[in-house]
Amino acid sequence: MLKVKAGDLDRMGMLFERYNRQLYGFLFHMTYQRELSEDMVQQVFYKMLKYRHTFTGTGEYIHWMYSIARNVLKDHWRKNKQQVQHEGVEAAETIAGGLVPDEAFEKKQAKAELHRAMGKLSESQREILALSRFQELKCQEIAQILGMTEGTVKVRIHRAMQELKSIYVKMER
Amino acid sequence: MKCELYEELFTGWINKELSAEEKGVLEQHISGCDHCRTELEALQQLWGHIGQIETPEPSANMSVKFYAMLDTYKESVKEQRSLWADIKYQLSNFWQWQPRWPMAYNLVMIVILVVGGYLLFGKNKSDDQDRQLQALSSQVHELKQTMMLALLENPSASERIRGVSYTSEIKHADKQVIDALLATLNNDPNVNVRLSTLDALTHLAGHPEVREGLIKSIVEQDSPLMQLAIADVMLKLQEKRSVNSFKELLKQKDLDHGVRDKIKQTITQLI
Ligand SMILES: [Zn+2]
Repeated sequence: MLKVKAGDLDRMGMLFERYNRQLYGFLFHMTYQRELSEDMVQQVFYKMLKYRHTFTGTGEYIHWMYSIARNVLKDHWRKNKQQVQHEGVEAAETIAGGLVPDEAFEKKQAKAELHRAMGKLSESQREILALSRFQELKCQEIAQILGMTEGTVKVRIHRAMQELKSIYVKMER
Repeated sequence: MKCELYEELFTGWINKELSAEEKGVLEQHISGCDHCRTELEALQQLWGHIGQIETPEPSANMSVKFYAMLDTYKESVKEQRSLWADIKYQLSNFWQWQPRWPMAYNLVMIVILVVGGYLLFGKNKSDDQDRQLQALSSQVHELKQTMMLALLENPSASERIRGVSYTSEIKHADKQVIDALLATLNNDPNVNVRLSTLDALTHLAGHPEVREGLIKSIVEQDSPLMQLAIADVMLKLQEKRSVNSFKELLKQKDLDHGVRDKIKQTITQLI
């Protein structure tokens, strides 16, 4: 019979408090959809709860969390292939909206434009940039999450940056 | 060295992970390579701009949903005792609940039958062993069902959740079970119990009466949590007939904002 330590489950509440914003941010930059990202956070934590016995304790908890999040994302994309781009554009516009002073608007619009450009990257390029830039993870940590060498991670970040630059430059014209 | 060989260092440069030595190597290269110098400047600037893109905050709803899920999970897991422990537990309370629950009589009869069956089976190696065994297993099945129905009436929410969780052990949910679950879904005062019940019923969605019950239940739910959850289920089941009920729900003036958006979205996704 399954023996569950009470502290084990309470710990999940602590982990949620600590990581929910971060995880939500990652999922948002991957999907550009707020509500979907919230649902996915719930799915990730549910899976961590359900499979917590399979977490061996080697490596960091947070890496495990990202691995699960990536699976949830893959699952979503398998089911909703066509939606990503379209929603991406909409979300970027939503962020750009709202009342701001004129001088700030320029900047705000540029940010939205850049975010939209990121939405045009491939999923794996967007992912590696999200992890390194938005999640501010070290290359060595990303290497663990993605199962690559640190060198590969660095090269891929560089390629993703070059790709983003070329998309962004084309959009500005 | 060729320019491509510096790619790794570029990344280290812009995210500030380079050692002093690596930095020196790259600086030396860009001092002699205009192409790489401009590229590095551009990427450094872009990196800075990406950092200015805002990340929205999750809504409060996310936290509410998480803790409801955690509570439900805790209660269902904590109480995963064996069936025998349950029988003992229920029997120990037998005298208390006898007047209220005629089902208790049923329960005791089945326990006697089961025990009797075991004794009979052990002593007597007759030809109709198989038949007896079959009868016995159907009795056990019935026992589980009785157990479940009894638990649904328990005053403690965690006991009721346990009752709901027995549904997964019942092979053929009959009308009695389905009715009891639907009644719990619509009337149980505890939202965690209702959520677990919704989950259990979703697994039984192969039964047409379950689907109909779920659709009818949409307008019965007043907690935002349940309204969101039921919208998810309808989407998962691709139940187009639920659209009318959702439209009905939208007419309620005090409907939560988040729920309203979700329902509208669900309707568009279903049509
Ligand atoms: Zn060069």
